[in-house]
Amino acid sequence: MTAILAQRAVPRDTTLWEWFSDPMTWGGSDGILANLGDTVLLCAAVTLFAILVAVPPAAFLAHKGWGEVTSAWVVNIGRALPTFAVAAFLVPVSLRAGYGAEPWPIFIALVLLTIPPMYLSTYVAISQVDKAAVNAARAMGFSERAVLTTVELPLASTVIFTGLRVAAVQVVATEPIRAFLGGDGLGRYVRDGIGQNNATLTIGGTILIAALAGTTGLAFSAIERLVKPYGVRRLRSDRSPRTGDTDEQVGPLEDGEPAGSDAAGVGGLRQR
Amino acid sequence: MLLVLAACGNGDDVDEVDDVPDETEETDEPVEEEPDEAPDDDADDAAAPDGPTITLRGQDFSEAITLAEVYGQYLQGLGYDVDIMTPAGFRVEAIQDLEAGTLNMIVDYIGGSQAELAPDAEPSGDPDEVMEIITEAYADMGATPLDYTPAIDGDAFVVRGDLEAETISDVADMDLVLGASAQCFERPQCFIGFEDVYGIEFADTQTIEFGPILGESLDAGEVDAVVWNDTAPQIEEFGFKVLEDDLGLFPAQNIAPILDDSLIDAYGQDLVDAINELSAMITTDDLLAWNFETDIEFRESDDVATEWLEANGLL
Repeated sequence: MTAILAQRAVPRDTTLWEWFSDPMTWGGSDGILANLGDTVLLCAAVTLFAILVAVPPAAFLAHKGWGEVTSAWVVNIGRALPTFAVAAFLVPVSLRAGYGAEPWPIFIALVLLTIPPMYLSTYVAISQVDKAAVNAARAMGFSERAVLTTVELPLASTVIFTGLRVAAVQVVATEPIRAFLGGDGLGRYVRDGIGQNNATLTIGGTILIAALAGTTGLAFSAIERLVKPYGVRRLRSDRSPRTGDTDEQVGPLEDGEPAGSDAAGVGGLRQR
Repeated sequence: MLLVLAACGNGDDVDEVDDVPDETEETDEPVEEEPDEAPDDDADDAAAPDGPTITLRGQDFSEAITLAEVYGQYLQGLGYDVDIMTPAGFRVEAIQDLEAGTLNMIVDYIGGSQAELAPDAEPSGDPDEVMEIITEAYADMGATPLDYTPAIDGDAFVVRGDLEAETISDVADMDLVLGASAQCFERPQCFIGFEDVYGIEFADTQTIEFGPILGESLDAGEVDAVVWNDTAPQIEEFGFKVLEDDLGLFPAQNIAPILDDSLIDAYGQDLVDAINELSAMITTDDLLAWNFETDIEFRESDDVATEWLEANGLL
């Protein structure tokens, strides 16, 4: 109980340094670590769910060349939805339906926020893959499925990943609105800071959120580097040829082939 | 002139538009006007009483927004130059902006003002004692609270109708989950008082933005008790009950307009008298009626304010 009190009412004259260096701030069921866990869990769930919902259909439709107008429409509608309003609208609905204030309203609102950029980047990435590479694969007798999974997706992976990274950072940066809708997470410090006129809490919370968003961006870059397909790495080095890298100096047309035909290596973690 | 503008701003209502010519005619033959008002109106009806613009802003919940509209439109009706700003923030922001000079008039609950400005002073159920404390506190920032209203919108400890308790003391051992705004958790008159004065041990707490979501959360069983205000119309709608504050934790919460001294210096006693006259007319029933209109019927605060002022012959 005293723990709750100490957490809920941080004196206004506490400095940022005092607040961050107090173990009470970090530990306990109400501390930064617990709230960080809440935030990361929700963001990860939203991002994974949105990837599953957005990327496969976007890849398939872009491969077929279908639904360009529909895609643009869906994306624009999605972008026009104000996340906070959606979540705030869903809270009473969810409460009345017996699902509680958390986490469904904020989950749905964040998924709706995330799908458009993921869908768009995947669609654009696939549809802008070099048609020569795609046609070459078809001419070699690749099935349509193989064309998509072993030629188009690997070649588009860089752009797709950029879209996923931007979307994930957006989720992390937006998730704190949950604190204004009956939840907790890192946004609670900003909420309490505003409500209690406590600048230390507001600024401290903002720093935490910004740090998590930055870390998310870096983490995605790291993952991207790890899973980048072997052939695409060679493409990259082809664009900026270095002296001594002679075995990688291959022409763009031939380059589609190793990427496509080396099916086993695609998506693998092979080191250069 | 201002009257016409004010009416047009609100005006898809046919009745209002009909009223306008009548009122402008009245200014030409000032029979029913107060004597000291009439010469001003005749002199120049665009800026009748001469002085600085009165800027006020409602706190961001429906009752306070309606209150700001009532005071603002009333003063506009008397010919004062009034800027009713878009509602924003709560008490803290209002007081900060009054101190900074962005606002020169605010409308606040006197017990709330005391909790904010003199947190260490003993909470009191007697509005005159509270006024004494906050008058001193506001004087330090060059502002003066005027007469408080008969209307009281006290804090309320609200539970679902089926909870077997009549007073706040009854719930001390019930392991309730409390839902309240972030402000409540740092106030001796709120959460801290529940623990220290009433000795309540809550099973858990949840921070919920002040407003209708408090009622939704309570109704859905997310929380077992919320700190709300007496005049929330949802209390009756949802069949909640307000527990009696048997240990007198909640302060007197009459409403008082607080004016920057520069306004009083510029406009003198006329302004003070005019505002006091309005304050004396606002009752708790009026607050309930306004909140019902805005929160249950979803009408605009400025329309509700205009109607009330017209119904009471103030506009």
